[in-house]
Amino acid sequence: LRRCLSSVDVHRIEQSFWDIRRALQTKDTFKNITILSSLKNLDSIKPVDVCCVTRHLLTFYRDRVFKDHQETSHEVKRKISKIANLFLQMQRTLEQCVHSQCGCSQEATNATRIVQDNYNQLEVSSAALKSLGELDIFLAWIGKNHRETSAA
Amino acid sequence: MKNVLHWNPPKGQHGAEVTYTVQYFIYGQKEWLSVSGCRSISRTYCDLSAETSDYEHQYYAKVQATWETKCSEWAETGRFYPFLETQVGPPEVVLKTGEKSISIVLTAPEKWKINPKDDPVSMQQIYSNLKYNVSVYNTKSRMWSQYITNSTLEFTWLEPSIQYCIHVESFVPGPPRLPLPSQKRCFSTLKDRMSALK
Repeated sequence: LRRCLSSVDVHRIEQSFWDIRRALQTKDTFKNITILSSLKNLDSIKPVDVCCVTRHLLTFYRDRVFKDHQETSHEVKRKISKIANLFLQMQRTLEQCVHSQCGCSQEATNATRIVQDNYNQLEVSSAALKSLGELDIFLAWIGKNHRETSAA
Repeated sequence: MKNVLHWNPPKGQHGAEVTYTVQYFIYGQKEWLSVSGCRSISRTYCDLSAETSDYEHQYYAKVQATWETKCSEWAETGRFYPFLETQVGPPEVVLKTGEKSISIVLTAPEKWKINPKDDPVSMQQIYSNLKYNVSVYNTKSRMWSQYITNSTLEFTWLEPSIQYCIHVESFVPGPPRLPLPSQKRCFSTLKDRMSALK
């Protein structure tokens, strides 16, 4: 898989997220539940499945998390919409880059289903808040995996 | 990845003997866990490096003060993510002199080890995009120049008979981390033989 996602996009998302990370994570009171599990579970994703899982998780954030999240703070809302726009940009970049080389193995499908199942366990607004608070896990995973899979 | 929790004593105890107890929580798991070395302690810090050594998990910690027959509320940290928040120490810096150049050879620091006998793990293995910010100071012109590298730098443009000083910081592109600069190292370039022959 050629390296598709530009580290510039990832760093811009990281910066926006880092500004609101404490605010989001402090409101998440369910310490014993995780949506994305730890980087460790995502780490079991094989290089060949990285593209598929990335695509599914970007879609998950676009179609569920950003839509379900209710935010009262204007500052946080502004940062989240900036992150959402950068996600859309990343998705387009990924689509153009991989064309058809983005197959999904059973393991990749299972991994993203676990994320959806975890999300469905919680009440929607809590699930969306928790998923936003876990963007650091997703971004760390993207940073690790979209750097190491630069060789086709 | 040496992670030490620090806190301030509670206000208004007026000389009463205060002790503290610390617990930690692994995000996504079930319950708070006690820290064997930090139960009823009188110091105001607790080393949680062993408890948080799996840097890909996320953690919380909390501390409670006890004095006389009373105890405080638990004071809790935010979610701590070692992988993204650890401060990477400075690299090992070795200076090598060439005929007309000086090379600065940089080696990544090692990860903190639970057991000193464990095999060393380089921070380069954990952060493959680890880079170094090299600052070079010309003591004559009093000018700083900066370079980014991921291992070795060779300087061929140095002026003769001048003392240069350098210090180096490790950095990982991504979320902001507090840098830990290396100690300053200074060296002097040789006299220019040509001018000496005139």
